[in-house]
Amino acid sequence: MVNDMPDATDTTSETPAEAVSMYERIRDAEPAPPPPRDLTLETGIAPASAGADDANPVIIDVRDLNVYYADFHAVKDVSLPIRQNEITALIGPSGCGKSTALRSLNRMNDLIESARVLGTIEYHGVDLYGKNVDPVEVRRHIGMVFQKPNPFPKSIYDNISFGPKIAGYKDNMDDLVEETLHKAALWDEVKDKLNESAYALSGGQQQRLCIARAIATSPDVLLMDEPASALDPIATLRIEELMYELKKDYSIIIVTHNMQQAARVSDRTAFFSVEVNEQGQRTGHLVEFNPTRRLFTNPEERETEDYITGRFG
Amino acid sequence: MTTLHPEHAHEPESEIEIRHHFDDDLDDIRRGLVAMASMVLENVQRAGVVAVENRLDLVDTVREADLPINNLYQRLEQRTFEILALQQPVASDLRFLIATTRMLYELERSGDLAVNIANRTASQHGFPQIEDLNRLLARLAKESATVFAQAIDAIANLDPEIGINAEASDDIVDVTTDRFFAKVHAHSTELGLECAVELSHVGRFYERIADHGVNVAQNVTYVMTGVFPDGEDIDGPE
Repeated sequence: MVNDMPDATDTTSETPAEAVSMYERIRDAEPAPPPPRDLTLETGIAPASAGADDANPVIIDVRDLNVYYADFHAVKDVSLPIRQNEITALIGPSGCGKSTALRSLNRMNDLIESARVLGTIEYHGVDLYGKNVDPVEVRRHIGMVFQKPNPFPKSIYDNISFGPKIAGYKDNMDDLVEETLHKAALWDEVKDKLNESAYALSGGQQQRLCIARAIATSPDVLLMDEPASALDPIATLRIEELMYELKKDYSIIIVTHNMQQAARVSDRTAFFSVEVNEQGQRTGHLVEFNPTRRLFTNPEERETEDYITGRFG
Repeated sequence: MTTLHPEHAHEPESEIEIRHHFDDDLDDIRRGLVAMASMVLENVQRAGVVAVENRLDLVDTVREADLPINNLYQRLEQRTFEILALQQPVASDLRFLIATTRMLYELERSGDLAVNIANRTASQHGFPQIEDLNRLLARLAKESATVFAQAIDAIANLDPEIGINAEASDDIVDVTTDRFFAKVHAHSTELGLECAVELSHVGRFYERIADHGVNVAQNVTYVMTGVFPDGEDIDGPE
């Protein structure tokens, strides 16, 4: 058997000098005992539990929210702490109340005569539905972007300056317009045509203009109701990237039918579902609210799992 | 910066780089793999010092140094898992993430083998210092570390060529391993049966570490080209 093996005594390919250097190489490799490692610092790879942690303060605290349209119970018992500088996504099937819940957050439901909002929604600790709270003031702090881009039939410049002007903005308007368009990642595309009609822009650009218009009055919360559903995939990804940038300065709450969009862009996800009573009335309720990474990898509720894996109902 | 999409870094038309943070996430994983592989290599070399020089005082260090490697493995696997779940990766992004799960396994096993080398040495209270045998073990350790270091380069630079040429480097390790076995056999009386078996294991572990290095480099080739070296074309026959 020994003869089948390479010649054990053959050392022709390693001269003594070479062998010494190899030996030294191993010696050189002897390190001091490794210092205590901070893996997160060294590698940038934080432990799995990090990310959407509870370090960000609650900016909007929704407690026991119930919304009725006349006799119709649209949203039932929703409690949802929205955290600062995060993107919170509301997902769920049609009629689950996610848009209704969103519109409650800046009192858009006030515009519907029969709507009644019960429970408390506190913004920075102030009850948004308190007696002395002006809904117009609420909407200045909590801006809204809608499904279809809806720029004013005015110039690009005027779309941005309109809100601040009404609010009595006194400083240099040109600077504000430029700064706002930069924030919405639109400046480079429109800087040479600020006086052209906003309708001349593409759909994706119009939607970014609407986002710019919403942030021109310096809100700190942005509500987005299906902001990308009317856009093509690339314009959609641009909006998502923009949201990601904007969350450094704002807190964003997005309603989306597109689960993948919620997965891609949000820090936390609220999954709403719907119950149908004997009269055929559909009442929405919150099933699960968790960090997005948790909800899409290991949801707490069976109902969430069934919905996100496409096995709903 | 080495990225999967180098052309992307210059996208001009918009102030928004689409999927910029997604690219950052992928690059974090690439850098994490390089960091983990470097920690493994360091420990493989440390284990070599233990085995070749009977440095039993370093055995505990080798064991302890494996713990952060395992932690990093879990963190990177978790990240990969989350990106797969949340970002709907396709094409080279998908290949990178799938290959990452495989590479993590290869790296983690290599780290364990370094610990095994130290443990086997400790179980014999050090190996008898037979010069020609030691010299060959040192050579095997170095060659194996060299293959592994090439694998690190492959990940760091996303270089598909290293994986294509990896088998050749591995052949050198295999030849040295066989020579080492023969040498152990030649000294078997002097070593005694148990010690000869343990030394053979150490040789086998170094040979395995090189194999893991080859697999890592080949996975990088797969990421960059869509095909494993000598593998079938994923698009199927023409």
